[in-house]
Amino acid sequence: MSLSATLTGHDIDKSFGGLKALSKFSFEVKAGEILGLIGPNGSGKTTLFNLISGLFHPDSGKIEFEGANITHESPHLIASLGVARTFQIVRPLRDLDLIENVAIAVVYGRNGISQMQVARAKAFEILEFTGLSHRARRYPGELALEDLKRLEVARALASNPKVLLLDEVFAGLNPKEISTAIELVYKIKETYRVAIIMIEHVMKAIMTACSRVIALHHGVKLCDASPMDVANHPEVIRAYLGAGYAGN
Amino acid sequence: MKSDQFSSTNSNRLYQMIIPIVLVGLALFPFSEPPVYFISFVFWIFLYVCLSSSWNLIGGYAGYLSFGHVAFFGIGAYATAMFGKIFSLSVSLTLLGTIPAGLIASLIAIIVGYPCLRLRGPYFAVITLCFAFVSQLTVKNLEILGGADGLWLKTMDVSVEINRTIFYELMLALTSVTVLVSFLVGRSKFGAGLRAIKEDEEVAQTMAVNAPRLKITAFALSAFFPGVAGGIYACYLSYIHPDVVFDVNMSILQVLMALFGGASSWIGPVVGAVSLTVVNEGLSTFVKAELARIIYGCLFIVVIVFMPNGILEFFSRRTKRIDN
Ligand SMILES: Nc1ncnc2c1ncn2[C@@H]1O[C@H](COP(=O)(O)OP(=O)(O)OP(=O)(O)O)[C@@H](O)[C@H]1O
Ligand SMILES: [Mg+2]
Repeated sequence: MSLSATLTGHDIDKSFGGLKALSKFSFEVKAGEILGLIGPNGSGKTTLFNLISGLFHPDSGKIEFEGANITHESPHLIASLGVARTFQIVRPLRDLDLIENVAIAVVYGRNGISQMQVARAKAFEILEFTGLSHRARRYPGELALEDLKRLEVARALASNPKVLLLDEVFAGLNPKEISTAIELVYKIKETYRVAIIMIEHVMKAIMTACSRVIALHHGVKLCDASPMDVANHPEVIRAYLGAGYAGN
Repeated sequence: MKSDQFSSTNSNRLYQMIIPIVLVGLALFPFSEPPVYFISFVFWIFLYVCLSSSWNLIGGYAGYLSFGHVAFFGIGAYATAMFGKIFSLSVSLTLLGTIPAGLIASLIAIIVGYPCLRLRGPYFAVITLCFAFVSQLTVKNLEILGGADGLWLKTMDVSVEINRTIFYELMLALTSVTVLVSFLVGRSKFGAGLRAIKEDEEVAQTMAVNAPRLKITAFALSAFFPGVAGGIYACYLSYIHPDVVFDVNMSILQVLMALFGGASSWIGPVVGAVSLTVVNEGLSTFVKAELARIIYGCLFIVVIVFMPNGILEFFSRRTKRIDN
């Protein structure tokens, strides 16, 4: 493990009843890096985000953020340190408009402020950045899925994170929307210098955006390499396509 | 981007003009020599505005429907009464005891809230209701608090009119402070955090909202004003009984009033409390008590079914639609 790593996990185990969602899983991610996380359905990707953000706690193993042990910390503390996430199934605050949704993350996030008016102005900037400013006074119920995914990203960004966990923000988008979204992720990395972990099924997004990819299968890490190497890794191909295809 | 895009300066200015006028008018009302009956009627309106506005801090903003809030009213009443009794104080000095009584109510809210606020939805509602029953039974069975006989307080040596006027003004002051606090909380970072908790507590936490601390703060604050109100009420009646100051109907009424007016803003509980108290009084004056209850109940059902966000939002949405 290198000292400059922002977020690291060591030998994380997590079971639900008899089901091992993650076993002996380790990872690290640094500032300015986009790490891809792939794996078939149910392989434990979202579980990893739930563990990092403190919604669940691992059975064993350790999660460290900037050298501090956050394994058993509460979600609000982890978030205030600068670890922000999006939800795979979008979870906007439905009775609040977009500005309020984002402004709450601004006031409570890392280096939060107390002035709601100032926070709203900042929230508007973030909505502009994520391409939602024309919907600023709309309610989540009036938005299409694409925009709700953007709202998830906007809200996560608003808390001024050092690590950004993106859970399938491209799922359900059409190819054109995916291209725009990939640009957005790049822009985020360049503008905010965050470390990003990106869960994705859309291979195009993984191949173009990520500098490194981890593949998971049944909670076990198959490999941790460049996007090209992961895509050609026999075990990854087997995990996705079945045993018959491997080695061909 | 215009700087006033995110503020409602116009409505603020309107409030700034109207509110002082209304308050001065209300404060002067008893001096226009109305029938004593009216003074005590408006006293009751103030009391319910205070109760439903403070309930709204936890129940409306944070969405934790406390059905046992009358307990804090009762605790405040008994704390004030005991304060006066132990130090054998005059009524005016006993009234000073309403502030520590409010603080005691807040302290108990913190102790009770710590475990209870981990429960959500109906579980929280039921456990707070139980808390109110347990408090009532406890007071009933404690000889030192007068038990089932209740407690007598000293009375003021003044005419009924003056007596009523004094308590009217006291309750007006307390209610104004309560509504002001509710208004300020609603616009603050604290209020925004509570709203996030109401919408989705888990998401709020991942947005770095310290939900446990915010909830307990809101609960303690929402117990303080009923505590003080209970103290004022005890001095007003000069006799308190567990069945009266721990009356579960009162608990339910303050919830209904806040929901009736609309629990997501500071003005909702004010409108709800004023209108329901007036309707209730009107009904019980002009029709038989049982019939009044039935009409009252039906009215409430209609509002909950057709206007789930309260009458204010219902009407403001309609006017918006007409504008468009
Ligand atoms: N709260 C939970 N309780 C019980 N089982 C759970 C829970 N969360 C996840 N699981 C199980 O753990 C396994 C991993 O789930 P997870 O959501 O992490 O998968 P995923 O890789 O994100 O899949 P997908 O690509 O479908 O989103 C699944 O078998 C899932 O059913
Ligand atoms: Mg998932």
